[in-house]
Amino acid sequence: MNHKKRLSLLLAIMMLATFILSACSGGNNGNSASGGDTGNEGDSLEPITITYFSADSNANWVNMQDAVGKKLTELTGVTIQAEFAVDGSNQKLPLMVASGEYPDLVFAKGDANLFVDAGAYIDLTDLIEEHAPNIKKVYGDYMSRLKWSNEDEAIYVLPTLAAVDNEMLDAGGTFQIQHEVLKELGYPELKTVKDYENALKAYYEKYPTIDGQPTIPLSLNADGWRIMISVTNPAFIATGVSDDGEYYIDLETAEAQLHYKRPEEKEYFRWLNHMNATGLLDKETFVQKTDQYEAKISSGRVLGVIDQDWGFGNATSALRSSGKENRTYARFPIQLDETTKDATFQDTGYVAGWGVGITTSAKDPVRIIKFLDYLASEEGQILMNWGIEGEHYEVVDGKRVIPEEIQERKTYDNANFTKETGIGLYNALYPRYGDGVLDSTGNYFTTNFPETIMKNYTPSEKETLQAYGVEMWKDLWPKKEEFPVKPWGVAYNIPVPSDSNINITYKKVEEITRKRIPEIILADPSKFDELYDQFIQELNAAGAEQMEQEYTELVRARVELWND
Amino acid sequence: MKAVTETSGSTEPTVNKKKKGFWTTFKEQKILYGMSLPFIIVVFIFSYLPVWGWIMAFQNYRPGRGIFEQKWVGFDHFVTLFTDDKFYLVLRNTLAMSFMGLIVGFTIPILFAVLLNEIRGSVFKRTVQTISYLPHFVSWVVVAGIVTKMLSVDGGAVNQLLMALGFIDQPIQFMAQGSWFWYIVTASDLWKEMGWNAIIYLAAIAGIDQEQFEAAKVDGASRIRQIWHITLPSIAPTIAILLIMSIGHLVSIGFEKQFLLGNPLVVDYSEVLDLYALNYGLSMGRFSFGTAIGMFNSIVSIILLLTANGLFKKFMKQSIM
Repeated sequence: MNHKKRLSLLLAIMMLATFILSACSGGNNGNSASGGDTGNEGDSLEPITITYFSADSNANWVNMQDAVGKKLTELTGVTIQAEFAVDGSNQKLPLMVASGEYPDLVFAKGDANLFVDAGAYIDLTDLIEEHAPNIKKVYGDYMSRLKWSNEDEAIYVLPTLAAVDNEMLDAGGTFQIQHEVLKELGYPELKTVKDYENALKAYYEKYPTIDGQPTIPLSLNADGWRIMISVTNPAFIATGVSDDGEYYIDLETAEAQLHYKRPEEKEYFRWLNHMNATGLLDKETFVQKTDQYEAKISSGRVLGVIDQDWGFGNATSALRSSGKENRTYARFPIQLDETTKDATFQDTGYVAGWGVGITTSAKDPVRIIKFLDYLASEEGQILMNWGIEGEHYEVVDGKRVIPEEIQERKTYDNANFTKETGIGLYNALYPRYGDGVLDSTGNYFTTNFPETIMKNYTPSEKETLQAYGVEMWKDLWPKKEEFPVKPWGVAYNIPVPSDSNINITYKKVEEITRKRIPEIILADPSKFDELYDQFIQELNAAGAEQMEQEYTELVRARVELWND
Repeated sequence: MKAVTETSGSTEPTVNKKKKGFWTTFKEQKILYGMSLPFIIVVFIFSYLPVWGWIMAFQNYRPGRGIFEQKWVGFDHFVTLFTDDKFYLVLRNTLAMSFMGLIVGFTIPILFAVLLNEIRGSVFKRTVQTISYLPHFVSWVVVAGIVTKMLSVDGGAVNQLLMALGFIDQPIQFMAQGSWFWYIVTASDLWKEMGWNAIIYLAAIAGIDQEQFEAAKVDGASRIRQIWHITLPSIAPTIAILLIMSIGHLVSIGFEKQFLLGNPLVVDYSEVLDLYALNYGLSMGRFSFGTAIGMFNSIVSIILLLTANGLFKKFMKQSIM
């Protein structure tokens, strides 16, 4: 009897297990249909499917069924079968490497080293030399910046995120304040965090509620990696340093240290702590998720945010379309005190860095590089940036012009516009020129140039800019000529060998920071010093000092590789 | 005590009463063995073959290289794991949340099923049952959104209710209190899974012979007595099996809920083992370290399962193997 019971139970459990298993393993096929054709040399237009993975999310991707995408398929025979990381995280890449099955093209962001170490990327040097004149032309003198490292001078990645010769046309960060607040207060001078605080406070006291809901003087976004953009990066931005990721790098010695260790930044966090203590900082700052943060901003009752403009782009669009355009934000190069100046526009040279690589799984790399080369050609770049002539732009007296109604859709209904036209959707794929570069006809390659930017400012923006006597936000900032050029480009895209201890320590440091900084900001002001010192000690205990030393070596190697 | 098979609903193979040699039995039941073969193969391929990958835990595994090109490091990864303070922290969180989940998520569905069964009105009963298990089909992303919104200080329903009732003057930051995090997770898990988990007990109760209840009634047993002496003992085998199985899953509770509900302020309470393995293993390309954590996980699970099974066998004469 006992035997019988056991056997049947075993069976039941086995069935249950197989059930679960088959449920998990189902629907996992059909993503390996790559490169239908054999290696066909020459400019064939045979249909080919290129598989592509991007570590950046792309909500507007419609499988090339947009206008530009269809045109591309027509011109090159290429269909891109793309997959995008859902939240811009890198979790899928290591799995891909572990499985040894790759898409043909991978845009790996900061994790390209995983692919290189696994031998998954092919060396592109010869391919570019033989088949890609346009790519060569775009990179020009910067070709040496594509080299992987001093030991391995192969080209694995075509940097695509950073556009060549790009001029930052306008400022997008960091201290944002509603136009309405400025107007109400008669456009006060905003130079230091104190000015900023006073403006927020004055308006808050006057209007404790907006549209019947409580006013929030200042909110930040601390959800996941956004904490860097909105909470920790502003600490160096407000103390006159430009972005090198989590490090501060000394210009003379190229010595790297975690930027939190700078005494100036401690003072910045002290200010945030003070903002919290005086009730000006949103109580939910460190609890809210990105969607809650954006929802709050969209309601128009957040007077100020410290963030980059893309960090709350959806909210800005929402404010515009709901007729609260006066509650969108103006931005200023605000500093902790008047001794420093905002270095956002410091010159980095061409930063190279993140981009696409062709993997060993690609059956026809020549065809792929030719496709990328087409995209990088003048014709290709214009198609990608401007769309189709007669449809998305017109040429009037030799000048490319975007018709009024198209521009309107682009500004006010950007997501749908992008989905339909495909303009800007393919930018991570190919090497390209940035804003402010002219093509052979004397037109700008991109659709962003000072005139269009100025034209596209909303009425409140124009009003605010006029009140401060400038034409663009950028004019408020110190010019790039005021700063020396950084010979290492930007430090955050220096590839770190994947077996290095830096990665592990970095992760620990990151966790400590993301945990302690919120605690420090929310703490009682009397405990601030003690907590901050503890935080630095904790960083060092986790091996920060050794990591800084090793990183210094990497920065020095980069300077050597790029400048010989 | 009734045989478990009746409640778990599987088809019962006919086994001869007398002990026979394996081959004789095998010949007699060829067809049955044949029928189970595909499943055994599937289990083997998906559950046993991957165990081969454990070998990675003893190497400095680099993808894309053959097994002989890997560097062997012995127990290095385990040493790293067991000397990391963080590991003990996440283990504590994992165990705390899974024990709380086990206790609450186990007793309440039973209670719910038993009580629901006592209701006579069939329409009402079915409606309640359906409504109670619907949240099971809602994804954790959505549930986490609902929970954070409900507990928000900025117009969250819970805070508004408490303030309207006069219990508090200031809204409470529920999501910012580390020590509350475990309770919030447990409670949201309970809300989501209670109805679903009760289904199996309801099925077990439905299988109880009605004559027993009638006999008890004749003897003058009250409702409570009937529950205590008939319903509960009848579903005890089901309870035991499910309990043993969930004990086996104690360490592997996944990380969805913790990941989605957590925030920087409660990270000391919200990080669990699976997230640790993901962050410090896979995400950083440290496949070997990740495997070492996975191995630890599996071994602990097996030990827990066997212990639980042994205890039940001894004290309740119930077991799953």
